[in-house]
Amino acid sequence: MAFTVSPPPHIKEGVSVKALMWGRFIVLLPLCLASIYLFGFSALGTLISGVLGAVFIELAIQKTFHQKVTIGDGNAAYMGLIIALIVPPSAPIWLPFIGAVFGVGVVKHAFGGLGSYMFHPALATWVFLSLSWPTLMVPASIPQLGSLSDLVLETGAGFLADASPIAMIGVLFLIAKKYVDWKIPLAYLLTTVILVVLLGDPLSYIITGTFLLGVFFIATETSTSPITRNGRFIYGAVCGFLTVVYGYFTGDYISGTLYGLLLSNAVFPLIERSTIPKPFAAPVITHSTAPKVVGGEEE
Amino acid sequence: MKGNLHSKEVTNLSDVVRLDKLPEKAIIPMRQHDGIACAPLVKKGEAVIVGQKLGECEGSDLAFVHSPFCGTVDSIELMPNPSGKRILSVVLTPSECAQSVDFVPEKNAPPSRLIQIIKEAGIVEYYEKPTYLALKPGKRIDTLLMNATFPLITHAYLNSLDKVLEGFRLMLEASGIARGVIVVRADDKESIKAFKSAKVNGKPLTVAPIIGKRHADYYLEDVEDQILVVAAGRITYTPTMMNLLSANVMGRKLPLGGEPADAHTVVCGVKSAKAVYDAICEGKPYLENVVTVKGAVNNPKSIIVRFGTPLKDVIEACGGYKGEPGKIIVNGSMGGIAVYTDEAPIVKSTTGIVVQTKEQVLRDETSVCIHCARCVDICPVNLLPTRIASYSDLGKYDECDHLYAMNCIECGSCAMVCPSKRHLVQLIRYSKLQIQNMCAEARGGD
Repeated sequence: MAFTVSPPPHIKEGVSVKALMWGRFIVLLPLCLASIYLFGFSALGTLISGVLGAVFIELAIQKTFHQKVTIGDGNAAYMGLIIALIVPPSAPIWLPFIGAVFGVGVVKHAFGGLGSYMFHPALATWVFLSLSWPTLMVPASIPQLGSLSDLVLETGAGFLADASPIAMIGVLFLIAKKYVDWKIPLAYLLTTVILVVLLGDPLSYIITGTFLLGVFFIATETSTSPITRNGRFIYGAVCGFLTVVYGYFTGDYISGTLYGLLLSNAVFPLIERSTIPKPFAAPVITHSTAPKVVGGEEE
Repeated sequence: MKGNLHSKEVTNLSDVVRLDKLPEKAIIPMRQHDGIACAPLVKKGEAVIVGQKLGECEGSDLAFVHSPFCGTVDSIELMPNPSGKRILSVVLTPSECAQSVDFVPEKNAPPSRLIQIIKEAGIVEYYEKPTYLALKPGKRIDTLLMNATFPLITHAYLNSLDKVLEGFRLMLEASGIARGVIVVRADDKESIKAFKSAKVNGKPLTVAPIIGKRHADYYLEDVEDQILVVAAGRITYTPTMMNLLSANVMGRKLPLGGEPADAHTVVCGVKSAKAVYDAICEGKPYLENVVTVKGAVNNPKSIIVRFGTPLKDVIEACGGYKGEPGKIIVNGSMGGIAVYTDEAPIVKSTTGIVVQTKEQVLRDETSVCIHCARCVDICPVNLLPTRIASYSDLGKYDECDHLYAMNCIECGSCAMVCPSKRHLVQLIRYSKLQIQNMCAEARGGD
C-alpha cells in the first residue's frame, strides 16, 4: 500500500489567498449595486471597465513573460474594482480601464506582483489619473453625510464608493472571520474621529464612503501594511493622522484620505522595522557571549 | 493564551483496551529514543522470553531495550521505523507462551537504587530523553512537572490513576525533587475530575487554575501538599514546547536553547510515571504504552500496545482503515511524521497514530506571501514567521537570527493558518540549523 510522505503540519485551515481576495471582492458588490442604482448604467460600465482592464493587463503580462497566470486568485479583479470605485461617475468609460492597466501593470507587476508592491495599486492609480486627467477626475460634488439617510444612500456622492457607505457593512463579517485585520481600522477610525473632533471640523465631512473604503479595504491591504501586532496599531494611527492633516488644511477629506493613505504606505516599512516583537525566550549568557554570527569584518 | 493551538483535541475516548492479539512479526528497534543505539544481545534463531533484555549499550544517553514478547528471533536487520529512517531491529516471531523473566518489585529501595531501576527498565520520556537522565540533570531543581496535557493519553491512564500518581511520587523520591506539579488542560474536564477525586498519601489532590500571573509557585506557597495539579490553558505542550510550558505554568522563561533544568524544573510524562510504577512496584521493564489511534479508522480509540507491534496491527485492532488510506502520521498531525509504510513498529516515543484518507491528504501549491500576518497573530512565541522564512529562503541566516528564529518552538501553527500554504516550519527549522552551524563555525575559528 502506498502512503504519502510529506512534512508537517498535516492539517491546515481551509483559508487561501483566493478566498481572501474574492471575499473582499464579494463584500464590495453591494456597494457597486448601490452606485449603479444611484448613477445608472454608466456606473456599471465604469466598474466593468476597471475590472476588465486589471484582468487584461495581468493576463497580458503573465502570458508575455511566461509566468503562471494568476488572474484566478482574484487580486487583479479586486484591484480593478477598487480603482473603478474611486473614479467619479461622470468619467468616460476608458478612464478606469487605463487606470487599472496602470495600477496592475505598473504598480503591481513592475514591482514584483502579488505581495511585493510597495504602494497600494489603487492609490497610486488615483494619483496617476488625477494628475493626468485632472478635469475628468474632479468629482461633481464633495459628499457630506449629515443624516442617517445619507449613510444609506448619499445623493451627493462624488465617487462611486460614496454612493452608500453602509453597503460596506459586510466587511465586519470578514473581520470576524479574520480575513481582514481589525487593528488597523480601529486605530485609523479612532485617530481620525478624535483629531477631527479636537480640530472642530464636523464629523459629517469625514465619514464618507471613500473614507470607509480607505479604512476597511485600502488601509488593511496586507502587502502595504506592517505585519507586527503593535505596528498595525501605529500604522492605523499614522493613516488617521495624515488623513486629518491633509483634510483639515485643504477642506477636502476625500483627497485627504487617499493622499494620507499613500503617504502611510511610504512609511509602513519603517513602522514594521521598529516594532519587531521582543523574543519570547529569557535573555541568555551563552548566546550573547558567543561570537557574532554576522562575522566577516572582525576576522 | 492562544486557544487555537490544537484546541479541538479533547474528545471522549476513555475506554482503553489492551492489544492482546500477537502480531505476525514484531520489530523491536535497537534505538527507540534520540540517543545511543543498543547492541543486540541475541542471535538469530534464539528463543526470547518476556522482559528479556535484547539490547544493551554503554554511554550516558542510553535506554536498554527489552522484549515485550515471548518468541524466537527471526533476524536482526535494518527495518522501517516510525522516525522515517531504517534502524537496526530485532525481528521476532511471537509465540503464545507466557514465560517471562522474574519480575522483582523493590518498593522500599533507597533513591539511588530507584534511579538505577528506572535506568535498567529503559524508561524514556515523551521528549525522547531517558527518564533516569532527565530526573538528574545535575542542576538545582525544585519542581518536577508532569505534562498531562495530551488529553487522549491522560484519559487512557485515568483508570490506573493511583498507579500513575504513585509512579510520580516515586520519581520525586528517586530524584530528590521537593515537589511535583501535574499540568492538565483547562478544558479537559474529565481528567480534572479524576485528579480531584484522586488521593496521594491519603490526602486529596488540589486542582488549581493558572490565571494571569498566578503560576504554580503561587499555589505551592499556600498548600503543603507534595503534589499539585494545575489547569493551564488550552494548549497541548508537545516536546518542542518546553519553553512555553515552563513560562505558562511556572512563570519562568527558559533561555534560548535552554532546557527546563535551566529554570529549575524537570518535565516528565504520564506514560513514564506509569512505567516507573511498573518498574519499581512490579519489577517490569518498559514494555508497553498507550497509543491513541485517530482519523480514518473504523473505531478510533486509545489502546495499550506492546513495543514492536507494527502499525498495521494496531490499526487493525481499531477496526481497520475507513476508506482508502492516504497517509499515516505518527505523533500528531501538527508536527508528526508521515510514515511510508504501515510495517513500521510502535516504539517507546510513539504517542499516537493519525490516519488520513486519500481525499484528506493535502495537495496544496505554495504561492507568494501576501503579508497577511495571520502567522504573526497565531505565533505563541511572538515571532514573525513569514519574515524568518523568507530570509531563510534567500539564505540570509544572519537576518533570521536577528529576528530570533532560534526561539521557534516548531508548533506548526503558522503553516496551518497560512493562506499561501508556505512551508514556514521547514524554512524556519532550516534556518535554525544553519544558525547553529554558523555559531559552531564561529566558535571553531577562535
